Amino acid sequence: MMTQSAVTKGRNVVAKQAEKKSSNVWNTFKRSFLGPIVALVLFLSIWQFVPMLLDIKPFILPKPTDVIAAAAADWALLWPAIRITITESLIGFLLSAAIGIAISVVLASSRILEISIYPYAVILQTIPVIAVAPIVVIWFGSGFNSIVIISFLIGFFPIISNTLMGLNSVDKNMQELFTLYNASKWKTMWKLRIPAAMPYIMTGLKISSTLSIVGAITGEYIAGIGGGKGGLGYAITVAAVQLKTPYLFACGIAAAVFGICFYLIVNLFAHLMLKSWHESAMKNEK
Amino acid sequence: MTVNQNQVVSFQHVDKVYNTGTIALSGLDLNIKEGEFMSFLGPSGCGKSTALRMVAGLGDATRGKVEVFGKTPKEVIKNSNDIAFVFQDANLLPWRTVLDNVMLPLELRNANKKSKKETALRVLEMVGLKDHLKSYPRQLSGGMRMRVSIARALAAKPKMLLMDEPFAALDEMTRQTLQNELLEIWKKENTTILFVTHNVYEAVFLSTKIAVMSARPGRLSSIIDVDLPYPRERIDHRFNEYVDLASHSLENSSIERSV
Repeated sequence: MMTQSAVTKGRNVVAKQAEKKSSNVWNTFKRSFLGPIVALVLFLSIWQFVPMLLDIKPFILPKPTDVIAAAAADWALLWPAIRITITESLIGFLLSAAIGIAISVVLASSRILEISIYPYAVILQTIPVIAVAPIVVIWFGSGFNSIVIISFLIGFFPIISNTLMGLNSVDKNMQELFTLYNASKWKTMWKLRIPAAMPYIMTGLKISSTLSIVGAITGEYIAGIGGGKGGLGYAITVAAVQLKTPYLFACGIAAAVFGICFYLIVNLFAHLMLKSWHESAMKNEK
Repeated sequence: MTVNQNQVVSFQHVDKVYNTGTIALSGLDLNIKEGEFMSFLGPSGCGKSTALRMVAGLGDATRGKVEVFGKTPKEVIKNSNDIAFVFQDANLLPWRTVLDNVMLPLELRNANKKSKKETALRVLEMVGLKDHLKSYPRQLSGGMRMRVSIARALAAKPKMLLMDEPFAALDEMTRQTLQNELLEIWKKENTTILFVTHNVYEAVFLSTKIAVMSARPGRLSSIIDVDLPYPRERIDHRFNEYVDLASHSLENSSIERSV
C-alpha cells in the first residue's frame, strides 16, 4: 500500500519517508520477531507430529492438541486453580516487598543493627526455603495461609539483600552534600538513600516476582488442599497421580504464562519508576 | 589570637596526616578575608582539596585548627547556610529535575514551599538555566550540569562558596564562559570564594589572591596578590606577568615570593 502511494505521488520526499518508515517496521519485525515466531511454530509442529509418528501415548507425552483439549474439558477446574495460585503469589509477593523493604530501611538506618543482623540475612537467604516448608505447614496448618507464607519467605530474602545493597551504595559525594546541609538521618534516608537504591530495589522485586510463584506452587504441593481450594500446584499433584498428563501440561503452561505476565508487569513498573533517570530504563533512547 | 572582624577563614598551623601515613598538609597558616576570591593552586597531592574540605567540615585537622567565621566548620554547617560547596563533578541527584536539584538545600533546611521555588528560580536565572527547569541532569551537557550545581550552591544564600576544581572536566570554551559567569555572580552576591585549581591561567583570571601550594608534604609555598582590575583580559601583558609569576613559584616551591 505504501509503495503504491509512493509511485502515484511521483516519489516525492514525504512518500519516500513513509516508504522508509514502513520498511523500517518490516525490518524491526524481521529482526526481532520473525525468528522467535518461526522457532515457536517449528517447535509446536515437531511436538505435534513426533508423538503421532512414534505413536507415543498421551499420558507419556501429550500433543499440543491434547493439552488444549484437556484444558478446555477441565476449564471449570483449571480456572479456579489459576485464580487461587495468582492470589497466593500476589499476596506472598506484596508481603515480601513491603516487609523486605521496610526491614532493610530499618537495618540500614542503624549501623549496629545492620552489622549484627545482615550476616544472618545472607545466611538465611542460602537456606532452601522448600526444605523448611513443612515446618510452616506444622505451624500454620495446610491451606492458604501456609502457602502464602512459603511464597513470602521465598521472595523475601532477594528483596532484603538487594535493597540493603542499594541503600549502602550511595555515592560518597552525594552523601557529603547532605552532610553539608546538616540533613537528618531520616531526611537522608528518604531523599537520598531510598531514591539511590531504587534500581536495586527494582531488581529485587523482579527476582522475587518469579520466585513468589515458585513459592506458591511449591507450597501447594505440600500444603495444598482439595475441595476447589487447591491451586495449580495441587492440581498438578492430583493430575500426576491420576496420570492425567495432558491436564498436567495445561497446568504447567498456565503457571508459566502467569509467571511471564507477572514478570512483565513488575518489569513495566520498574521501568516507569526509573525511566526518567536511570540507565537501565533508557535503552530506547539515542 | 585576635580575630579580625572581616576575616572569614583562618588556618592555624594546620597539619593533616591520613591513616595511611600520607602527610597531606603540613603547617598551613593562612587567613582569608571577607569578599576575597582566593585560589588554591598546586599540583595534585599538595593538599589543596584537603584544605578546602576542612573549611567545609568534611575533614578534621590532625593538628592545629581551622576557623570559619570565628567558629569551627562543623558548628557553622550545623547552624547556618553560610558555607556552600561545589564539587568537581556536578554531583546532582539524577532522579531530580533541575528545579528540584536546586531546591534540595532549601528542602533540607526546611524553607517554606513558596520561597523555595522563588529562590530556586532566581538562582537558575542567574546561571541562565530558566528554560530547563524540568530537565533531568542526564539531558544536560557537562557545562550546564555545572551551572545547576553552582545554582544549587547559591540557593541557600551562602556567605562563602567553596569550589573544588569545578571546571576541570569541562572543555576550554565552556570553562571560559563559566569563569566569566562566576566572576559576575561573585560580584553580585558579595560572597567569599575559595577555589581549588591546578590551572595557572584560571587562578590568575579569577582570583584576588592565589595560594600557591607544593606537594609532598603539602604546604603553602607563597601567596600572590593579583593586582589586576576586573574584568581581566586573558591576553593582557600584565596578565601574562602574573601567569609567569605563578608558574614560576609553582616550579620553585621552595622560594617564598609575594608581590
